[in-house]
Amino acid sequence: MNLDDPAVADILGRAMVARIATVSRNGRPHVNPLYFVCGNGKIYLGTTDGTLAARNVKANPRVTILFNVEREPGDRRVLRINGNAKVRTDFSQNRWYVLRDLRKYILTRRGLANTLAHARLLLLVARFVASGEKGKACVFEVRPEEAEILAAPKQTGNDELSQLRLNPS
Amino acid sequence: MKRITLKVDLSEARELLERAPRACVAFAGDEGPRTEPVSVLVKDDRYLVGVPSSAASHPTVDEEVVLVVDDGLQFFDLRAIYVRGHVQLLDEMEGLAGEMFWFAVQPTRAVAWDYAHIREVDDES
Repeated sequence: MNLDDPAVADILGRAMVARIATVSRNGRPHVNPLYFVCGNGKIYLGTTDGTLAARNVKANPRVTILFNVEREPGDRRVLRINGNAKVRTDFSQNRWYVLRDLRKYILTRRGLANTLAHARLLLLVARFVASGEKGKACVFEVRPEEAEILAAPKQTGNDELSQLRLNPS
Repeated sequence: MKRITLKVDLSEARELLERAPRACVAFAGDEGPRTEPVSVLVKDDRYLVGVPSSAASHPTVDEEVVLVVDDGLQFFDLRAIYVRGHVQLLDEMEGLAGEMFWFAVQPTRAVAWDYAHIREVDDES
């Protein structure tokens, strides 16, 4: 399966948040949710170059990414993509990403409503980004190699725990 | 000295674990990271994780894993719980075993963040 496969493209078109898994130089796992956009047959995720994920990608470019179909709450399809990532810090790539990120996440009816509802926090966000606490803005450029569609397991509520007999070993 | 943070107390994000809108576990494979969508339960501060038995791979006992439960689509709705820990096997989980492989994660680190709670705090580092 590649990104042009209709089933893959359908999920990528409906997904909002990607969960990207990486491993460190010494093999320790990590996963975190990031915004993403697609283009040129690749997946681009925005972050900063001081994060653990960025340090991991620099040490080991192998990544695995999960995409849920968040826009359809009853849809349990999960797309998993394995590939190789590069940390891009160049201005042109970051500008390309930011423009598409804004179009996807902010310049929409829901995005604008969410931003306006939290307008009092925008200055803090700007200061947080400008502080450079987690490094400079960067983009993970992921070249997909394998894609498969899974089914997310049903989320079992804690209410059901009372009905269980759970015996830890 | 002040700094800006997105982190919140785990107890403030506990409700996320009750319904686990999106949950996955990551662990290291031979050639790179592996990750699976999972079910999550919390019992007595232990994180119980269910991976479909049809999954391509499972973490092994004592292996280090990271569990992430996250929610939200729009920027200020994004929230997550991040748990790093080690796999402990459950002896038996009747009624839930079904088609799932269940294990517990013994946490070594657990944090939560919530973009709507971004704020300035005293820097105690």
